[in-house]
Amino acid sequence: MAVALITGAGGGLGTAVARRLAAGGHLVALNDRPGRPLTALAAELSGVAAPADVADPAAVTAMVAEIERQTGEQIGLLVTGAARMTMAPFAGHDLADWWRTIDVDLGGTFGCAQAVMPGMVERGGGRMVFVASEWGLTGWPDATAYSASKAGVVALAKSLGRELAPLGIAVNAVAPSVIDTPRLEVDAAAAGVPVEEIRARYAARVPLGRIATPEEVAEAIAFLADDRLPTLVGQILHVNGGTARARA
Amino acid sequence: MGARLALVTGAAGGIGAAMVRELAARGWRTAGLDLRPAPDALHSVGVDVADDGQVAAAVRRIERELGPVEAAVCAAGHYAIVPVSDIDWSEWTRMLRVHLGGVVNVCRAVVPGMVERGRGDVVAVTSDLAIGGGHAEAHYAAAKGAVIGLVRSLAAELASSGVRVNAVAPGPTDTPLLAPDSPWRRPAFLQTLPTGRLTSAEEVALAAAYLIEDGTFCAGEILSPNAGAVI
Repeated sequence: MAVALITGAGGGLGTAVARRLAAGGHLVALNDRPGRPLTALAAELSGVAAPADVADPAAVTAMVAEIERQTGEQIGLLVTGAARMTMAPFAGHDLADWWRTIDVDLGGTFGCAQAVMPGMVERGGGRMVFVASEWGLTGWPDATAYSASKAGVVALAKSLGRELAPLGIAVNAVAPSVIDTPRLEVDAAAAGVPVEEIRARYAARVPLGRIATPEEVAEAIAFLADDRLPTLVGQILHVNGGTARARA
Repeated sequence: MGARLALVTGAAGGIGAAMVRELAARGWRTAGLDLRPAPDALHSVGVDVADDGQVAAAVRRIERELGPVEAAVCAAGHYAIVPVSDIDWSEWTRMLRVHLGGVVNVCRAVVPGMVERGRGDVVAVTSDLAIGGGHAEAHYAAAKGAVIGLVRSLAAELASSGVRVNAVAPGPTDTPLLAPDSPWRRPAFLQTLPTGRLTSAEEVALAAAYLIEDGTFCAGEILSPNAGAVI
């Protein structure tokens, strides 16, 4: 089973992904930004902690080299879960904060994909699963930077799906709707309501009547990571409970 | 009662047969509906899925003898390459009755029980041609496109009942539907695919099995292993 690099592994979704992939037999390399706790999860999963700011290309390159040194293998699976989100009305959104979201969510996906690509080519193939978002397809008020970055991630997955398939690298993305993670607190704070209220508001919009669990999204990512699907490329798996959305 | 029961149409060959094998490997009992006998299925019933009476009778018999159908996969179909000007009305109608009608007839037979029990899964097999269109296969693409409209509508309608409806939309797949001399098997075509090869029936079955067993937050989803033909 391939070495799997999971970015944003310290977050609610990333942790669920790391646990699911480790349970499936992957040796997991766990990335989050420096200072975020990773060692306990790495110990729990017998994995490798790989802290780095994904928006910093030099740090990403060094991280990939360090993972390959520690595991003695090239990375065969990349899951880009690292993301940040702030919510603010567009007109007043601080420009530096706006670009920081683009640089982490979209730039980080690009940088990690570019950094692991040579190793994947050398080992004869690999898979990448990008974490996009329902909001990257539908847009969302007060989340313009996040939505734009995730829309970019969708197009990146489609482009790399085409470009890297001849090299034996299958690139796909998941586009989850709202997931039940601690990040809901950002939305609750922006709306000025308790987190239970924001959870209920989001659930009311979903035909299945609830929001997604991190484990459900992790399962979708594990599906897209499956080596037995060589012709599944450039696709967006919507894990959205049936929420209506634009086709993408 | 034993293991959960799945109904698979088109179970005699291609994607339907692969589906039966995948579900059996996961511990399901399978009932196969097809015009021809389905040797891989635990129980095989000869049925034309375009005939609502035959489908209803087959499902009644299966549920009486084997118990409730907890998952249905609609894979029955046929394919033809015909320029649009040459598609006659009977070919057009037959294409719609088999592909769209096949899904409608199965859903009318199994969904009421699923709703009553508060759970159930339906996966329809449509096609990447329904998304991207195709050349000289307008009746096939139109029928498969209608299936997507039906799946998304049923998904929205049934979600609150605990019944999930999804679809797989494979690209050109290595099944007997593609004749040995099919243009989709020619090296010149395969070179146009980013993956350089046809999708396998097993891949399509894996995608459908994911939607049934693991895709618990997927509803109205169209999952398309298609070799990069339609992205």
